[in-house]
Amino acid sequence: MGNSLELQGDTFPQLLLQRLKHDAERPAMREKAYGIWQTWTLGELCEESFALAAGLADLGFARNDTLVIIGDNRPRLYGSMIAAQALGGVPVPAYQDSVAEEIQYVVDHAEARFIIAENQEQVDKALEIKEQCPRVAFVIYCDPKGLRKYDPQVVMDIQTVMARGRELLKADPDKVNAEIQKGKSSDTSIILYTSGTTGRPKGVVLSHENLLVTARNTNAFDGITAEEEVLAYLPMAWVGDNVFSFAMGFVAGFCVNCPESTNTVAQDLREIGPTFYFAPPRVFESVLTSVMIRMKDAGRLKRSLFDHFMKVAKKTGVALMDGQSVPAWDRFHYWLGELLVYGPLKNTLGLSRVRVAYTAGEAIGPEIFEFYRSLGINLKQLYGQTEATVFITMQPDGVVRSESVGTPPPGVEVRIEENGEVVYRSPGVFKEYFKNPEATAETKTSDNWVHTGDAGYFDDEGHLRIIDRAKDVGKLNDSSMFAPKFLENKLKFFPEIKEVVTFGDQRDFVTAFINIDLDAVGNWAERNNVAYASYQELAAHPEVYALVQGCIEQVNQSLAQDSHLSSSQIRRFLILHKELDPDDGELTRTRKVRRRIINERYGDLIEALFDGRTNCFVSTEVMFEDGRQGQIEADLEIRDAAVSQEPSRAAA
Amino acid sequence: MAFDIFLLEVIISGLMTGVMYALVALGFVLIFKASGIFNFAQGVMALFAALALYDFLAEDGWFFAVFGFTLPVWLAIPATGLIMVVLAWVIERTVLRFMVKQNEIILFMATIGLAFVLEGLGDILFGSDVKPLDIGIPQGASDWLLDNFNLYIEQLEIFAAGTAAVLVVVLAIFFQRTRIGRALRAVADDHQAALSVGVSLDKIWVIVWSVSGIVALVAGIMWGSKSGVQFSLSLIALKALPVLILGGFTSVPGAIVGGLIIGVGEKLAEVYIGPMVGGAIENWFAYMLALAFLLFRPQGLFGERIIERV
Amino acid sequence: MTDEQTNETLLEVDAISLSFGGVHALVDVSFDIRKGEVRSIIGPNGAGKSSMLNVINGFYHPQEGTITYQGQARKQMRPHDAAAGGIARTFQNIALFKGMSTLDNIMTGRNTHMSKSLFWQALRIGPAQREEIENREFVEHVIDFLEIQSIRKTPVGRLPYGLQKRVELGRALAAEPTLLLLDEPMAGMNLEEKEDMSRFILETNDEFGTTIALIEHDMGVVMDISDRVVVLDYGRKIAEGTPEEVRANQDVIDAYLGVSHD
Repeated sequence: MGNSLELQGDTFPQLLLQRLKHDAERPAMREKAYGIWQTWTLGELCEESFALAAGLADLGFARNDTLVIIGDNRPRLYGSMIAAQALGGVPVPAYQDSVAEEIQYVVDHAEARFIIAENQEQVDKALEIKEQCPRVAFVIYCDPKGLRKYDPQVVMDIQTVMARGRELLKADPDKVNAEIQKGKSSDTSIILYTSGTTGRPKGVVLSHENLLVTARNTNAFDGITAEEEVLAYLPMAWVGDNVFSFAMGFVAGFCVNCPESTNTVAQDLREIGPTFYFAPPRVFESVLTSVMIRMKDAGRLKRSLFDHFMKVAKKTGVALMDGQSVPAWDRFHYWLGELLVYGPLKNTLGLSRVRVAYTAGEAIGPEIFEFYRSLGINLKQLYGQTEATVFITMQPDGVVRSESVGTPPPGVEVRIEENGEVVYRSPGVFKEYFKNPEATAETKTSDNWVHTGDAGYFDDEGHLRIIDRAKDVGKLNDSSMFAPKFLENKLKFFPEIKEVVTFGDQRDFVTAFINIDLDAVGNWAERNNVAYASYQELAAHPEVYALVQGCIEQVNQSLAQDSHLSSSQIRRFLILHKELDPDDGELTRTRKVRRRIINERYGDLIEALFDGRTNCFVSTEVMFEDGRQGQIEADLEIRDAAVSQEPSRAAA
Repeated sequence: MAFDIFLLEVIISGLMTGVMYALVALGFVLIFKASGIFNFAQGVMALFAALALYDFLAEDGWFFAVFGFTLPVWLAIPATGLIMVVLAWVIERTVLRFMVKQNEIILFMATIGLAFVLEGLGDILFGSDVKPLDIGIPQGASDWLLDNFNLYIEQLEIFAAGTAAVLVVVLAIFFQRTRIGRALRAVADDHQAALSVGVSLDKIWVIVWSVSGIVALVAGIMWGSKSGVQFSLSLIALKALPVLILGGFTSVPGAIVGGLIIGVGEKLAEVYIGPMVGGAIENWFAYMLALAFLLFRPQGLFGERIIERV
Repeated sequence: MTDEQTNETLLEVDAISLSFGGVHALVDVSFDIRKGEVRSIIGPNGAGKSSMLNVINGFYHPQEGTITYQGQARKQMRPHDAAAGGIARTFQNIALFKGMSTLDNIMTGRNTHMSKSLFWQALRIGPAQREEIENREFVEHVIDFLEIQSIRKTPVGRLPYGLQKRVELGRALAAEPTLLLLDEPMAGMNLEEKEDMSRFILETNDEFGTTIALIEHDMGVVMDISDRVVVLDYGRKIAEGTPEEVRANQDVIDAYLGVSHD
């Protein structure tokens, strides 16, 4: 069982054959269907998977063939991964909410002849792309609803394929086993298509060894055992699901639970009560928001109870979890809170049994992170990517910070390049990008170091901090790192500030353009009796300048805390007389700053920021909403912001 | 200390009286919930049930006169239950059926008429003298409580409380988890839709009235055992009214909690405020409380708040 | 549209006339519904479409004419007899039990399939318990079919309109009806909800062979999913036939364009 046994097997099917000897009766997967949790024991799961494998083989599925899988998390779809791997084939899960075109690219690029689709919706997509992908020969579905009238030569029920497989296995029981024994650890386990920020998706090829070794290491790192409960609710096409649910699950031997439908995840979570849980920051954020909204609607007693004990939690919760010493009274107070507030709350959220929870993918707001941790939920961050089989750094228990992402786990080496880029080497490093040697060569060096494309540094505690995309990071003249987006995001946390553009690459110091948020600042102006007639007037108001200056100085103070960032403090700024606007080409439609256009348009303003002028005249062409062109002119004030000198922590 | 014990006794005895009120109120709630009819005859039904039960048990009853023997308690109670079911059926056939689409106030008037008919019928059949009802519920104070806690509580009251609790649990399960219970709720919610799924209104009426008839039987047994079967029993219907105003007309738990509050409230008022105003508070306290509620929370403690979706 | 569709008549209304006081809601209307077909009843507002459905399921009792259902001719029927005979319906203005959960609402649809006596039910043991479980199983299939798992326990009063319509269809389907009457199943829905509803209606007809009679205002939908259409105007039948035939019929065009009731 689980870790205690030295598991043999170079591939997942081989591992499962080993585990079958002891664990055949253990629940391997559950799915809620027709209102009831239905269980597949490991024995049943393997029986179905191997029958499917035999059936697929009969349809002509051969070694190195790819099997595209489209659907929500379902035991049968995980089973079809095993089936493909058993035959030496490669499962290629696709995102179930992709439109047909996106799936077409994957199917075409992976040269798939077989597609397994969960239901009619996915079958329809598969058939739609079949025109463009003539290679596709078979579409196999799990849920027969609405599919009675489809061409049975092409579209078939997974039960039919399994039934055929069972017949064949009766005649030749060793048929699939023999194929499984041919597998090697370097064989491809899965191909995962990542939607890069630019260009076509790339197919990341991961070997069985990548996944098996990573799963073993991670299970050991967090003490994951066969007793965990896990809810598999994130897309199967995402590397995290393959690692957390499939690889770690089969290695540790815990049971993986599939939700009833995407809309029922919250309820299913409550019913299952996972002990090991992953969610992206936005999920934690939206759950917190809904809690806060519910508390706002709650009765007065309930609300004051909640507010009081959340304060207690903030004070004591994190310290308790990190094993620091806490006075007995606080300990009691927290215990009371657990009884009255935290316990019931965690129970409604389905998080009361969580032992280890992770979040990753983007920065999580510090207050959100603290909220969960103060409730006693061991929420940690990790940093990873598909090419690494997820893990590059992880936060060990007891040293968890909201702003950094931890240290490299055993087996992983991480280095910071000259330009600030994070590179790593690990047993999880991918084999290659499928049919894309140029991209592989660009990303992975010959001695297996992989470029992440992210810029970061190790902070004074030795924890990795990710600050920006590497290509956006520049250098100040004192050769310290300048990460514009990082600074801009920090400023944009203030509701008064809508957009920021910072400058500093190859300069002596950092400066910024600020756009105020008309709603927030207008509100503030009303409350403080600041009269204004237009955006331009408000933006130029000395008190508004003072307000923004306050925000910047706050940011400067926090930057000064960190030796790597203290030279990135913003020394001079101005507030733009107009809002940066996609219609004027200054922003993209998704509201990302177009630096080149800004540099061209406001070149003089930028120079003024650096050459010490206290004001600067500007005239800009703008497009009004009715399409007319016009000029906006203004004489903009440029201000200095105070810079904090020494890290205040130096004393400590 | 002695004072505390006294207070406790007052509260407990109030609770026990409250249970009795609650039992009557429960019958009202059932019928009101399912049909929107305020059944003024509920109190008389309790009386009628108690009279019928007495008749099966006593040697001066009709049953003995006709058959020459009396029924044992365990048979007499189901037999009376059967009579209540038959009564429900008769009421449906002769009254309700003809009033299906009538205004609520007309239905209410009909139940007042029904109350007089039943009362008269009881008088004619069983006579108007007070009859002792003994079905073997232990009488007197509980020795165990008296010895161990120095508390004086009637065993009958404990028994009544237990019975009420069981009744509520059974009713809750019946309403929430069975087909008929669902059908009852369905009818209460939307007549037309209920018809379209094949619920027969006639049948539902009979069932509702039967169930509340049986609840009336239980109430009748308790009150009858406590103070004898007498025609003033029908007046406890009037006490149920403030209970319903407190608890809300459509809520089973409301009927219980409302009953308990009224029971305890009037006992406490009697003991602590009574001497100041010359006593007899028990008679009107409940109505004052109900009045206060009507002013501040007209839907009652547990009544349905009407939530409109925007 | 189903494979099971035959020319066998399931229901025939013959010379039905219905009036309330002096107002004639239906005048001498005759048509038939064949087993396995999707039959639409269309017409301008006030044409008597809803009255027709109410006559079929026994809410209204016509003064003249007969209804022959499954070979049995009757002058009128009572609603719960209609339900017991396999006629289920939905309503134009959603008639759900607002205080009950989705699950309980759909369970009421099983009413005609549950027969165990009150006695067993009161005890909740033995046959009644088994019956409850069997029916719950069926209802879970309906819930799965309509993809409403996430609102199983939600009181329907809190659901948005489109989902309420879906729950109402679920309650009708739970009865395993022979004849399903749908009164404007798509009224007030957005395009996506309409598409979902059309899909459910067609699949019901397709997979379970359920005969469907529906009233609908959205002509696009009617033309898409109906096998045959009957057109009423001022309580009279003015046309009948396949969607194409009806579309080309001059009386129908006049009724919709010339004589504007809308």
